[in-house]
Amino acid sequence: MTAPTTQERVSQRVPLWRDVIVLKWVSQVSLLAATVAAMWFLATQAGDNLVARNIPTDFGFLEEPVMIQLSEGIDTHPDTGARALWVGMVNTIRMAVAGIFFATVLGMIVGLARLSDNWLVRRLGTMWVEIFRNTPLLVQMIFYFSVLTTLPRVGLGTGPINGWLHISNKGISMPRVFIADGFYQWAIVIFIGAVAAHYVRRHRQRIHDETGANTSPTLWALGTITVFGLVGLLIHPMFSWLGSVFDTIADLLDSIPNAAPQVLFSLAATGGAAVWIRRFLSARRSALGHLSLTDDDWFRMAFAALVSLAVVFLVVRWTGLSAWTLNSSRDLFEVMANKFNVDGAARPFDAMRPDIVQKGRFPNYGKSGLTMSIGFAACFFAVVIYTSAFIGENIRGGILAVPKGQSEAANAVGLKRRHVLRHVVLPQAFRIILPPTGNQYLNLTKNTSLAVAVGYSDVFQTGTTVFNQTGRTLPVFAIWGLFYLSCSLTISVVVNWFNVRLKLVER
Amino acid sequence: MTIGDFAATANVPITAPPETPKLPPREWVKANLFSSWFNSTLTVVTAVLLLAIFRGLLGFLFNPERQWHATATNLRLLMTHGYPEEQYLRIWVCFAVILTLTGISMAVWRAGSAMPLTGLGRKLVATGSTFALLTVLAPFSTRATVIWLLITAAVAVGGETLRRFVDDERTMSTLAILTITLAGVVASLWVIPYGRHTYVMHRSPTTLHEPGTVALSTKFPWTIMLLVAVGAYFVGIFLRDRLPANPLRGTLVTLWLLAPPALVFLVVRDPDFDTGHVVGTDIPIFLAYAVLGGGLLLWLTRPSTGEIGRIVAAVVLLAGFATFLTPMRMIVRIDMLMLAAFALAAPTFAGGPQARKRYTASWLGVLGVTSWLITAVNTPMTVDVPRDFPLGGFSLTLMVAIFTIVFSFPLGVALALARTSTMPIFRLLATGFIEVVRGIPLVTVLFFFSVVVPLFLPDGMEITEISAVIVGYTLFSAAYLAENVRGGLQSVTRGQHEAAEAVGMTASQKTVFIVLPQALRVSIPPLVGHCIGVFKETSLMAIIGLFDILYIARNVIPNQFEYLGSTKENVIFVSLVYWIFAYQMSKASMRLERRTGLGER
Repeated sequence: MTAPTTQERVSQRVPLWRDVIVLKWVSQVSLLAATVAAMWFLATQAGDNLVARNIPTDFGFLEEPVMIQLSEGIDTHPDTGARALWVGMVNTIRMAVAGIFFATVLGMIVGLARLSDNWLVRRLGTMWVEIFRNTPLLVQMIFYFSVLTTLPRVGLGTGPINGWLHISNKGISMPRVFIADGFYQWAIVIFIGAVAAHYVRRHRQRIHDETGANTSPTLWALGTITVFGLVGLLIHPMFSWLGSVFDTIADLLDSIPNAAPQVLFSLAATGGAAVWIRRFLSARRSALGHLSLTDDDWFRMAFAALVSLAVVFLVVRWTGLSAWTLNSSRDLFEVMANKFNVDGAARPFDAMRPDIVQKGRFPNYGKSGLTMSIGFAACFFAVVIYTSAFIGENIRGGILAVPKGQSEAANAVGLKRRHVLRHVVLPQAFRIILPPTGNQYLNLTKNTSLAVAVGYSDVFQTGTTVFNQTGRTLPVFAIWGLFYLSCSLTISVVVNWFNVRLKLVER
Repeated sequence: MTIGDFAATANVPITAPPETPKLPPREWVKANLFSSWFNSTLTVVTAVLLLAIFRGLLGFLFNPERQWHATATNLRLLMTHGYPEEQYLRIWVCFAVILTLTGISMAVWRAGSAMPLTGLGRKLVATGSTFALLTVLAPFSTRATVIWLLITAAVAVGGETLRRFVDDERTMSTLAILTITLAGVVASLWVIPYGRHTYVMHRSPTTLHEPGTVALSTKFPWTIMLLVAVGAYFVGIFLRDRLPANPLRGTLVTLWLLAPPALVFLVVRDPDFDTGHVVGTDIPIFLAYAVLGGGLLLWLTRPSTGEIGRIVAAVVLLAGFATFLTPMRMIVRIDMLMLAAFALAAPTFAGGPQARKRYTASWLGVLGVTSWLITAVNTPMTVDVPRDFPLGGFSLTLMVAIFTIVFSFPLGVALALARTSTMPIFRLLATGFIEVVRGIPLVTVLFFFSVVVPLFLPDGMEITEISAVIVGYTLFSAAYLAENVRGGLQSVTRGQHEAAEAVGMTASQKTVFIVLPQALRVSIPPLVGHCIGVFKETSLMAIIGLFDILYIARNVIPNQFEYLGSTKENVIFVSLVYWIFAYQMSKASMRLERRTGLGER
């Protein structure tokens, strides 16, 4: 049979309304149109209703003074809405970071307990998981809170507390080690030490590879950092000249015109899109230089171009964005300069004991100690214990998922039990454990928003206070959304980075 | 292996792995607790820790300061909030209907398994000795300690007798054991003087403590409920042995889906139907759609209809959209859109007279249920309850959980299909929705729906707070469910797709008949996990101030004059309720996995 001529092909062509590509795009475009129309309809409705009810939707409250008193945070009497929300964000991040760290540690203990040879320990691990995984987080949190509020009163005597730990119905207080003025200069020394340690480690590793001698490279690297840290305690003021460098950079940023970032961003967006499209085209080109594009490919290229145009439009129209970028980077460098322009003899660290002060009618913990308020403690214990049950299950599942043949083979070549775990089982298990554990980190971060039930001033609680006071519901929702989305994004980027690294280890 | 083969193997008992030989107690202890010096230390430390924990816990629970009366007296409040006492029969009817369905389903799906009596004996011995140990540790009075020790000793001795003197082959159904246990509990209501507590709402509320057994209004209904459940099980056995399996199971699933809305809107709300309106408007609209739509679908599903059918279906869709442009009853618009959906899907289900009849019948069923639901929802409630919603407490929790799961399932499947589809705009929209929803916490979503959504509605349209919150839960849950289903969709091998295309199936036929059944089957375990998650997340209603069980336990009961500051007791009770349900669900899912051999592919 000969190939059909062009004439025949045209006559055999399916009608327009049966053409798969046409149908596909018509249905997609109509869905998009319907979605946009529905959103438009709802938005105009909302606009009308908001105007009718006199509800403002602008972001002006960020600059306006508010009367909010927060239970704790870097600033308990914020003067503007933006400052209040910022304090809330810092509190959320504090809770999330502490929660992730301790949940991981506890989760590891739980997971290993469930795999233990010891019947009693195994049972304890199972009980832990089954109890805490199957009870709602909020119920746990409220229970801890109601127990903590019935602890003994803080006591009447004011002044510093002698002892390591003080527990009362105002919270849990312990001595605090904090970074002092000289810390940033000392951090530079540590940074140099880390670079040096990297090279030391590589060197020791090479000797090990060449001669087979036991050179313990990790120990050497840790030792290097320790030496640098100790020496740095004495010599850190020598880095105070960095302050003037940062000052100069801040002045330089101040003199840059507003248009510069606009041009830069626009160029980056269009240039990025152009490079992407060129790469895309060259990837689609066959070895002979023949190019065939499907409708999907056209869509992708159009989409990339559209996104870059949207970015350019946004950057040009919204001049505040570039001004904000310039101002905030200048502020950053000014802050850095201030951190370095300190008295030469400042210590990197300091420590203080907790104390009890009486500001108003009731005694409370002062600022000198490290104090967990009741709200913080309830939320912290709840998220840590709840998440540890899930992480423990992930770890157990990951270790069990490593094929038995792997550890048997390792035993057969005569590795010690310790080395079997460290060099054969755990590296493989880690690859299975990481993705679901990353999900648990995301969940933990989002779950910190339940702290509103126990009165901890996280971003959610602060936000509700702000919109109750200013009536700006929608803007606060937008800020919440962006904040939580960027937290989630950060965590998934970090987890993915580890994931990719682990994948590269695989051979 | 086809799906049919899987179904056939599902009922075959999977042979258990060879049992490890049982060690005598002394050697078992040595092997499991004191095998090395490290293990011995670990055992001692853990034992001391466990003893300390149990002592602390028991001391906490049995502290004379604990106000357990607060929980006992307010059980009705915790379960149904302010449902009027004189109408309480309705709640019991709902409960009886659910128990009946449960009993019949258990019989039809052959729930439960045979348990060897010796195994039961071993469990009883373990339980008895554990409780004896706890009794010794607990700060009981001497009399209570003696009584409890006697009871636990009796249980342990009974177990030991079973273990020693009963044939190894003798077994007993787990359901029978469950029934005996429940019967014991119910009988204890009639016999044991738990005491009778009544909360009297007056200007100065008081609690009456009377000695004796619990009130008749408690023990009598529970006895009836037990009898109903057992009776339903035997009815189920009767039906199972006489009716063909597949239609019976299909009917039961349909009844399960219909039961929640029917019970909520018909029984609990006690709607005041306006007969004139129903006969004059609702029924004619239903009949018109039933006759005309049914005829249309019969014609559309004829394989010979061809192209013209698709054009007609598209016209119906346009007519459905057009109904929104003119003032019209909502029921007409919704029915029109549903008819359009059925008309568009008709070619997928085209076939012989049998298939056409079945398709038309399913349209009539869906139309009937929807029309009835819309009528019932729009009929005012006659029950006098606070906050104008009939349910509260744990019944509200259950209702929200069930409605969320039922509604989010189709939405989640659709999102998963869109996300894995080859069409970029669908993929983009679905991915955007899923990732945004998964990136923000549930509380913000619930707040959004309870505070902001009322602002978005057009004039004259209102939505109760609970409905808005259910919509929020549904959208949130759908995004997570879509990710679970997506995992299942990706596990369907390429060969299945290609085979379906090779026999000439259209894309929608391939999805409905080949891909989805396999994908959903694989995603059963994560879906059950998801259901547990949704159930636990219903507790977040307390934050936005709905009267669910947690809110009542934390904010209502501790404010009663008699029970000031009884939060701890109530919250412990609430966590116990949640824990029992969630734990049973996770156990059931594990049993299901083992029985069907899922995850062993």
